[in-house]
Amino acid sequence: MMPSRRHFLTMLLAGAGAASVRAEVGPLRFGLTPVVLDDQIGFLTDWAAWLGRQLGRPVAFVQRSRYREIMDLLLTGRLDLAWICGYPYIQHRDRLPLLAVPYFQGRPKYRSYLIVAADTEWQRLADLEGRLFAWADPDSNSGYLFPRYRLATDGWHPDRFFRRTIFTWGHPRSVEAVAEGLVDGAAVDSYVWETLARRDPSVTARTRVILESPEFGFPPLVAGPHLPASERERIRRVLIGQVQDPVGRVLLTELNLDTFSIETPDLYRGIAEMADRLSQVVP
Amino acid sequence: MMTRALASLRLRLPLSLSVSAILTAIGMAAALGLQTLANLREDQGRNALTLAHAMADVQVQALRNDDVWLAYSLLRGPEGGAGDAVWILVDDAGRIFASNDPRRFRLDQPLAEAAPWLADRPAVPLDDPIGGVFPVNQGEARRILRLPLYSDGTQTGELIALLSDAPYLPRFREILIGGVIVTLGVLVVLVPIGWLWGRRMVAPLARLTDCMARVGKEDPRQMNCRLEFGDGEIGRLGRQFLAMIAALAEKEALERQMIQAERLAAVGRVAAGVAHEVNNPLGGMLLAIDTYRRSQPVDVPTRRLLDLLERALNQIQESISALLIEARADTRRLTPQDLDDVRTLAQPKLASVGARLAWHNDWQAATTLPAAPVRQLLLNLVLNALQAAGQAGRVVVHVAAHADRLSMRVENTGRPIPPERLTHLFEPYSAARSDHPGIGLWVCYQLASQLGGSIGVESHEGVTGFTVSLPLDAPRVL
Repeated sequence: MMPSRRHFLTMLLAGAGAASVRAEVGPLRFGLTPVVLDDQIGFLTDWAAWLGRQLGRPVAFVQRSRYREIMDLLLTGRLDLAWICGYPYIQHRDRLPLLAVPYFQGRPKYRSYLIVAADTEWQRLADLEGRLFAWADPDSNSGYLFPRYRLATDGWHPDRFFRRTIFTWGHPRSVEAVAEGLVDGAAVDSYVWETLARRDPSVTARTRVILESPEFGFPPLVAGPHLPASERERIRRVLIGQVQDPVGRVLLTELNLDTFSIETPDLYRGIAEMADRLSQVVP
Repeated sequence: MMTRALASLRLRLPLSLSVSAILTAIGMAAALGLQTLANLREDQGRNALTLAHAMADVQVQALRNDDVWLAYSLLRGPEGGAGDAVWILVDDAGRIFASNDPRRFRLDQPLAEAAPWLADRPAVPLDDPIGGVFPVNQGEARRILRLPLYSDGTQTGELIALLSDAPYLPRFREILIGGVIVTLGVLVVLVPIGWLWGRRMVAPLARLTDCMARVGKEDPRQMNCRLEFGDGEIGRLGRQFLAMIAALAEKEALERQMIQAERLAAVGRVAAGVAHEVNNPLGGMLLAIDTYRRSQPVDVPTRRLLDLLERALNQIQESISALLIEARADTRRLTPQDLDDVRTLAQPKLASVGARLAWHNDWQAATTLPAAPVRQLLLNLVLNALQAAGQAGRVVVHVAAHADRLSMRVENTGRPIPPERLTHLFEPYSAARSDHPGIGLWVCYQLASQLGGSIGVESHEGVTGFTVSLPLDAPRVL
């Protein structure tokens, strides 16, 4: 029984165009930050299986609650690739080759949404002065950098405008914190908010968007500094081709994404400029 | 009407049993329900304390790291705030750090501001590391849990839970409704049983009451009360009641007898008086007719007239004498043979009527009773009985001595005498005796009375009996 089963697996892997030698180097370690809905274990298992089949190498997702932990793992080579936010990307763009950028609503772009509870009267960011606010993560563009930048350009000090701020360490949690009244406002990833609204509108319905940021480059998938170029290409091909595969397309639909595409680091220039300007105001 | 109906034991006893069944059931259900509620509350407090202890360490860490989300997500629990308690984490400055009801208990808000009643009176000594659950009554909160949080021996905050009954009320209501349904089910069985049992218990009393209501309206001798005689109070009451009815009947009978005797005595006196008053002129007239006839010759028409007068006067005298019964002082004493002679004397009548006659003479003793009146008395009764018995009838005669009295009883199987006639049976020319008005029984009564005895009659379906009782030692006044 066992030999035939192994034989069958080998045949399957060979049929998928995989080099069986590659299997011996261990799984491909794929880091995830809460830029996506990382709490869908069932979906992640399916995606890992699909990616593994396509790459001829098992894929293991690695999740951490802080962006920074993923960045540390990625930069020290303990992750092969990761899906990270644009803000940490521009901080380390020299060392992190861009693999692919997801398309959301037809563009490789997203925004930051400033949300408040639906049953409040607040209409502008200024209305939230002296109130409770939730940041997503100190390394988040939409959930930290942009709202601080916006406050700074409006003439406020980002650290003193709110009475108190907390970190929720995730966009979905920020949405919930606002919906439940834990905080008065939060800045969240538009992709996360829209995807939540599509999946379970009961929570997002209790929040209201009072400010939309300009478009930014969508959180990219980047390779670690030590991932060989050939491997990068293979992964890139699989990701770009995912939309053509029936199972891959279903998985993309689950992700609420259109496809993956190859973009240049220029896509993130807006974030870089914003970070530069903010660092001049708030060292 | 309703009040009267309710006053009746017939309703009250079954109603009492039913009501007590209902009250017992309700009481049981309420007691069980309250006990269940108390248990639920106790469980809630214990569970909350366990939970508080379980998350205490992480909450201390959250406070130390200023990680509001961590504290919040722990308090929120898996149900996302739908838990059965309001949890509040307070920092060492007495400010709210997290709560699963964040709209009410705002981040950084002083507890003294959010819930003054809570901050004003520390319900637990804050150096108590065990914490505790205490009853309060503030808004929804019925119990409050307080657990001080420590880090390295320094208090870093406090975990508070406001426990309400709200999560248990639906369950409690469910239990209560279940209890009510079971109770109703039991009542459906118990109430009819209680009702029937009550009715059964009251039934003998009700019959007794009905019977008592008839006293005074009906002849006690004719009253037929169906009563039960158990060993209980009602049984004894029934026996006492029947004894009373019997005594009443006896008294009534005695009264009737006395009235009858007085009436008969009065009739006797009137008859004797009239006879005496009539007898003297009558004797004079008869003597005058006799003297006239002897003193001078009379022609034929005159003699006829005198004869006519004499016969008519004699008839009057006979009739008067018949009323004027006197047990003449007879020198001859009564012997058993005298009574047996009566049997012989009755033979012609017996033959003409065609009835049967049974004769029992058990009397052998000696007596001072005169023979003639007793013989006449018995003969009258036997002839009457034979007449009443008719063809195929039966007459039984018993003669016996009981103690110092001679008892003679004559029974016949003829038609019974109606009760209204029994009262006037012994009166002469009684209107009640329309069939053969006469003085036979009147004579019997007079004789028995004059001999110092009594005569009585009772008539039932099938048997009519006359009983004569005479003292064997007759008074010598006769």
